[in-house]
Amino acid sequence: MLNLGGTAELLEPVKSSKNRLLYASIFLLILTIGPVLAWPALRALILDSNYLPHRYCYLAQPGLVWTHVIADMLIGLAYVAISFTLAYMVYIRRDIPFHWMFLAFGLFIVACGGTHFVETLTVWVPVYVFSAAVKIFTALASISTALILPFTVPRVLSLVQKAKTSEEMTARLRRSEEDMRLQNAQLEAANKELEAFSYSVSHDLRAPLRSIDGFSQSLLEDCGEKLDSTERDHLNRVRAAAERMAALIDDLLNLSRITRSELKRETVDLSAVAHSIAAELQKSDDKRQVKFHIQDGVTAVGDPHLFRVMLQNLLDNSWKFTSKHVSARIEFGCKSLGKGPTYFVSDDGAGFDPRYSGRLFGAFQRLHGVTEFPGTGIGLATVQRIVHRHAGRVWAEGEVEKGATFYFAF
Amino acid sequence: MRNGVILLVEDNPDDEALTLRALKKNNILNEVIVAHDGVEALDYLFGTGAHQGRDPAVTPQLVLLDLKLPKVDGLEVLGKVRADDRTRLLPVVILTSSNEQKDLINGYGLGANSYILKPVDFSRFIEAVRQLGLYWLILNEPVSAKRGL
Repeated sequence: MLNLGGTAELLEPVKSSKNRLLYASIFLLILTIGPVLAWPALRALILDSNYLPHRYCYLAQPGLVWTHVIADMLIGLAYVAISFTLAYMVYIRRDIPFHWMFLAFGLFIVACGGTHFVETLTVWVPVYVFSAAVKIFTALASISTALILPFTVPRVLSLVQKAKTSEEMTARLRRSEEDMRLQNAQLEAANKELEAFSYSVSHDLRAPLRSIDGFSQSLLEDCGEKLDSTERDHLNRVRAAAERMAALIDDLLNLSRITRSELKRETVDLSAVAHSIAAELQKSDDKRQVKFHIQDGVTAVGDPHLFRVMLQNLLDNSWKFTSKHVSARIEFGCKSLGKGPTYFVSDDGAGFDPRYSGRLFGAFQRLHGVTEFPGTGIGLATVQRIVHRHAGRVWAEGEVEKGATFYFAF
Repeated sequence: MRNGVILLVEDNPDDEALTLRALKKNNILNEVIVAHDGVEALDYLFGTGAHQGRDPAVTPQLVLLDLKLPKVDGLEVLGKVRADDRTRLLPVVILTSSNEQKDLINGYGLGANSYILKPVDFSRFIEAVRQLGLYWLILNEPVSAKRGL
């Protein structure tokens, strides 16, 4: 059977591998001690030397005899050395896969070495029964190894495949790491550019507005009495336009700051933030009858400053779009919709036409005229950006004159 | 009102005219020296270049410093002013369009005495200059030194 769940056996528990090593050692010990104990009985049979020493097969020619002796000794020593290396490897890395196979190989090779040593012995001492016994033992070890080996082939192959796959995965990982590094560098460059751009906007775009406003006012002050009411109105419109553009620039810069600022991660008590914003709003116009319903104990993990800006924008919005109603209700809370908490700010104000809800969160997009409700149309874009920076999503539900609810979830 | 010199470092001629008008509107009648870039400002303060021979010991009562200037920018001027013993204690007010956090931190870090954002609304600008003049030219007690007329 092809075993694909090979990770477990790749990292076979050390304990079981220790046990196997113990069994192998005992087995080897029995193999060594067994013959020694059986020696008295076997002695006569095994050491029956009524034969011709092997060197006479070579006609006792020293050249041929020593060539055989040296060759057999070298082969035997090499086999022992190989076995020793295999055993050492398994000893050092018990988690090595198929370590029992290495041991079997070791035994088989040692046995082969043994036959060569005995071969050397029989050159002078004709203990051919002993030599035959060693050969039988070697044959058994070799056959067992030969029989086991084919069964391990699929597992070895799957292991090789796994090693190859893991190598490929490492290469792919390295490539994607490289890609990521490149993307990070590009992102950093884009951020730097954005910063330089904002800086330049901050400095250079306001200056002409100051001139427009400043000199318009100077004109009004210096020759106001020479101008009729229409002319004065025109100058005032110029000034108002400059003011509005200044507000737009400020909002744009604030929006870009939200993108650039470093993100902190803390648990923020959103209820407390909402309470403090609500109190500020109520203080800003105590004639209005607005009831705030703020659920207690609502928290979220993220940047405290950005969360405050987000709630400020949402509650400001509710405050603004309920201003045409005699009394209003603004609610902040958290419900469980699907996975994780979903936060919401809702009001019973002017609402919006759901057909245009896609435009709600665009920068400088407005669903109401400036004269109807003031604003630059950056508030919800800011909210969206803050939510996105926290890997969340934001959406809205509403109907004209039936209020609006803004949801966000992380 | 002490009538020391005000050094206005401003490269934009419109802003220069508006600042002068705002000072006049607030009856701040101190002499105003205008430097149009950082080099001119440093030349005036240290009596070098175009202002060769001016006694640098006679310091202005107040420096109004724009940040974005040709040649040598405002922060560099501020750094040199604070590094020199003769001008180390000079009141320097940064008067700029930038409300970038970076500029504020650098400005205060280099030892600006105040950081004033030039409002777009000219009425608010006049009010800012009024308070500025009141504070730095009347209320604030400077280290007594030889002052320019």
